[in-house]
Amino acid sequence: MIRIILILTFLIAMNSLQAKVIEVCSSCSVKTIKEGIRQAADYDVVLVKKGTYREYNIEVRKRLIIRSQGRAVIDALTKGHVFQVFSDRVTIEGFHFKNVAHSYTKEYAAVLLFKSNHFKVLNNSFEKIFFGILVEKSKNGYIKGNTIRGIARDEAGSGNGIHLWHCENILVENNKISGMRDGIYLEFVEKSRILKNTSENNIRYGLHFMFSNDDEYHYNTFNNNGAGVAVMFSKRINMTKNLFYNNWGPSSYGVLLKEIYDARIEENIFRENTTGIYLEGSTRVDYKSNDFIKNGWAVKVVGSSYTNIFKNNNFLHNSFDVSYNSKINDNKFEGNYWSSYTGYDLNRDGIGDVPFRPVKLFSYVVNKTPETIVLLRSLFVDIINFSERVSPVFTPDDLSDEQPLMKPVK
Amino acid sequence: MSMLLLLLMTINSCSVQPEPIQYGHDECSYCKMTIVDKAHSAQLVTKKGKQYKYDAVECLVWNINEFPEIAENSILLVADYQNPGNMLSAGQASYIISTGIKSPMGANLSAVEDEQKVDSLLQYFKGNKYKWEQLLEVLSE
Repeated sequence: MIRIILILTFLIAMNSLQAKVIEVCSSCSVKTIKEGIRQAADYDVVLVKKGTYREYNIEVRKRLIIRSQGRAVIDALTKGHVFQVFSDRVTIEGFHFKNVAHSYTKEYAAVLLFKSNHFKVLNNSFEKIFFGILVEKSKNGYIKGNTIRGIARDEAGSGNGIHLWHCENILVENNKISGMRDGIYLEFVEKSRILKNTSENNIRYGLHFMFSNDDEYHYNTFNNNGAGVAVMFSKRINMTKNLFYNNWGPSSYGVLLKEIYDARIEENIFRENTTGIYLEGSTRVDYKSNDFIKNGWAVKVVGSSYTNIFKNNNFLHNSFDVSYNSKINDNKFEGNYWSSYTGYDLNRDGIGDVPFRPVKLFSYVVNKTPETIVLLRSLFVDIINFSERVSPVFTPDDLSDEQPLMKPVK
Repeated sequence: MSMLLLLLMTINSCSVQPEPIQYGHDECSYCKMTIVDKAHSAQLVTKKGKQYKYDAVECLVWNINEFPEIAENSILLVADYQNPGNMLSAGQASYIISTGIKSPMGANLSAVEDEQKVDSLLQYFKGNKYKWEQLLEVLSE
């Protein structure tokens, strides 16, 4: 044991001997971060002391740890990026970034990483920025504990909080993002994980996937984003234990799925969204053990969505549980709990004896003519829904849950 | 009589004019994404006045390739990449596809006023230039 400790201390001592620490502060010999980086060699630490540094387009082309002590502020004076990283193994930690340049055609970011592998961006905070963390063509990165706050509420000329483009194996964990265009945007990103982030009050999507395969996101919270979360043109995505709530508006969704194949959506909570899940052209997706609570539409299925399975979900007090726009159904609903189920269970096995038809005729009417929604609670609507339930004409007649549960799934 | 007048007024107000895109609010008619990029958006107004709005020029092209009938006698507009927010007539604009300029739906396609403007962009970015008709073919593959 003592030997191990000795070896460890020795190793740590060796390490600190090798890596030089370059201190940057207003009273140090090195006064700017750029100068600190110029003097550093690979694997050195640039330690930036408390204070405000007015610097922009700080290029990093060495393997460095750039760390702030006491949350140094870097003000880019709206003239460009803050950091532009072009080398592997760079860590940027503990800064406060502000005043990044805006542009319609150039993506200015507080931290731009380009072809940078094994990077870390940790515990920074961001204000008045355009893009927060923009990562391009990089692998094996870690983005953790950053707080990104945008101010633009209605202006479309804002950037994304964390934007990954052509990346692989990135872990995005414990970040808080609000008031940006998209909170987290993944475009052509493979094998990455998005965990425990909070993304709220963004203009467009809390999380946005495009052309990204084999990714997963768990334990995230998406609240009050312009249009919720969008997962598009992607394969093999796993989403579990996320919370989607308070996404209200005519084109707003808890999750918008478009052209998704072989995904798993499990144990999520969809609460108070205009549409919980909207799926279009999505095939072989498993929906298991999700809670749909008080949504306008819990699940809205539009066109060519095949072999999706809904199992053990709770549908609680939604205006519409499931809505379809076609007569063909190739999706399976089994063993879900439906709060609007009025059947009985004579043999007391916990499974209702009569099948439940989740698609109401009125949801068709509303799909065709949205204004009719004002009739939602009227007697007339109850009558047409009832008659359709008794003898289905417009709704797919095989669309039913043969084993509706009598009690909600815990 | 007054009802008739009201009716006439409503009919009159259905003019075939492109409505301005409400950025951050309107949804793409093709891919359903909220339109935010002023430099890459596009729109189409049919001869009957139906408004289609797109978050990217490629969505307009894909939509026309899928449903050619919507483009008949329609007004086609694309955003000017070099003058964001300004719309150009799709037939008169020139186009660049370059990996250096990303567009919302991944086709890396942008529209500018004329051929000279594409040439000047091509000095900075690797890519190719296209006319509208070529574009319809290139993106159908």
